[in-house]
Amino acid sequence: MYGSGIYMISKDELKHLGWLSRLELTIGELDRYVSQIDEIIKYFDNLDTIPLSESEHTYSAKEVSELRDDKNRVFKWDTLQSLKNRKDGFIKGPKMS
Amino acid sequence: MPNHLYRLTANEVAHGIKNREFSAQEYISQILERIEKVDNKINAFIVVDKQGAMEKARSIDKRLHEGDYVGDLVGVAVGIKDNICIKELKTTCASKILEGYIPPYDASVIKRLKEKDAIVVGKLNLDEFAMGSTTEFSKYGPTRNPWNLDYVAGGSSGGSAASVAASECAVSLGSDTGGSIRCPSSFCSVVGLKPTYGCISRSGLISYSNSLEQIGPLGKTVLDVVMVMNAIAGIDENDQTTRPMTPTLPSEDIPTSNRLSKYTANQNKRNIDIGLVKELIEGADPVVSKCIYSAVDLFESSDCKCEETSMKSIQYALASYYTIATAEASSNLARYDNIRYGFDYNPEGYEWNTYFSNVRNNFGDEVKRRIIIGSYVLSAGYYGKYYLKAHMARERIRQEIKSLFEKFDVLIGPTMPILPFKIGEKLDDPLKMYQIDIDTVIANLAGIPAISIPIGFSNSLPVGLQIMADEMCEQTLFDVASFFEKIVDIRRSADI
Repeated sequence: MYGSGIYMISKDELKHLGWLSRLELTIGELDRYVSQIDEIIKYFDNLDTIPLSESEHTYSAKEVSELRDDKNRVFKWDTLQSLKNRKDGFIKGPKMS
Repeated sequence: MPNHLYRLTANEVAHGIKNREFSAQEYISQILERIEKVDNKINAFIVVDKQGAMEKARSIDKRLHEGDYVGDLVGVAVGIKDNICIKELKTTCASKILEGYIPPYDASVIKRLKEKDAIVVGKLNLDEFAMGSTTEFSKYGPTRNPWNLDYVAGGSSGGSAASVAASECAVSLGSDTGGSIRCPSSFCSVVGLKPTYGCISRSGLISYSNSLEQIGPLGKTVLDVVMVMNAIAGIDENDQTTRPMTPTLPSEDIPTSNRLSKYTANQNKRNIDIGLVKELIEGADPVVSKCIYSAVDLFESSDCKCEETSMKSIQYALASYYTIATAEASSNLARYDNIRYGFDYNPEGYEWNTYFSNVRNNFGDEVKRRIIIGSYVLSAGYYGKYYLKAHMARERIRQEIKSLFEKFDVLIGPTMPILPFKIGEKLDDPLKMYQIDIDTVIANLAGIPAISIPIGFSNSLPVGLQIMADEMCEQTLFDVASFFEKIVDIRRSADI
């Protein structure tokens, strides 16, 4: 795997991307993923084969402009009864540091 | 009491129950017995709701006895892919991350199925968060192909296709982001439809890539798929991407009186112009292309015009798909922090970032890879090189397909470029796994409907034909598919 030339992505970049997505990758995972992800990203270079102009964007097939009236609606709290980690009407979470 | 009721199609079940040939309870007991007998071999189900199914069957029999009205899908056993929410029934997406999740609401498609008196028998296995093509990336183990237990059932809706092929339920619902309904349908010899984007509500579908995915039906026959479509398709105010079901024909204007309100499987075949996409056939295994060419011969001998055509933009379809899908996945899976839903892990005492990392390490390898790739293609400096280009490529694909539909009614090709392969064969090479999606991602990128129908066996393994039509032209797909079904009889019930 190492013989095929320059890696587009390093283990450090991979670790950093993991951190951005709150995935703390182990050394084993970094070893496993770096060549696999590198191969995939190199494959994406297929996108460079097309001549592209700025104007080619997909627009939604539907005009999404229908908002409901700005009226107060009571939120039904009973749907949240089954939520885990509830205490005194609050939801428990880890502490901010 | 008639035996083997589990072998009946949805149409036969609904008619049988309405005409009192057998009761809903008799049918559902046999279905549940069937699941108990075969599911330990194929592993299609994650959860079987025996109690709920029997209760619903009892209530249907009671209403029939009292002469009450019953829906079009009365008593039909339906399996639901486990990324679609059902109230008070465990929904896991085959992941440790949602191990304890019990949705407080029904997805819109579930509400609609219940209104038609269908009976949900359980939740079906999938690749974790619908990311995969073989159902091997499931926390609950792979689903095996009912036609040969050493082979994959396809994915990510492997449970949905295998359960129908093994007669564990009459029809099922899957979801299709890059081929996840059509791939397992092809590998398991059943009919599977990915509808036009916006045809079916995604409210209650746990998101993976929301500009690409659609819920769709799987069944043994085109008629069964049509019956489920008639129950679940249509605008939903809970999903603002849904659109009216009016088909948009390129040149004709449909008079209002003739506008379809329901789909049919009546084979009212007009002279169909069929385009055979060269790049898809040439990229397929010879044993697969052979089956496709036999299908073409059958079409041509029945007065359909088959003409070879080319789609240049296929060369970057896969790159465009995986760039967009992983980008959207990295965003959609950011919500899994184990605070509002998830598994048992008390947050007290933990620091914020440590807790989230510990939680999110429970994603499987494939999910983690896609989140990382998605973050990469969206990151500063790379966004223009990958994500933006992928969107432009997508628009190019969409325009090329649109122009092809000005000439042809449908485009056909193999659903999968290869036959089903052995379990474990492609696990070590993710890119090779992605490349088997080459035939199916086009329809998701363009937002058009596509159906896979069984067209034969090669080396005793199923081969599927994919038919694509223009936006909202599902009826054209049903016309061509049911016509083909009439002229060729392919086995759809595995002997297991």
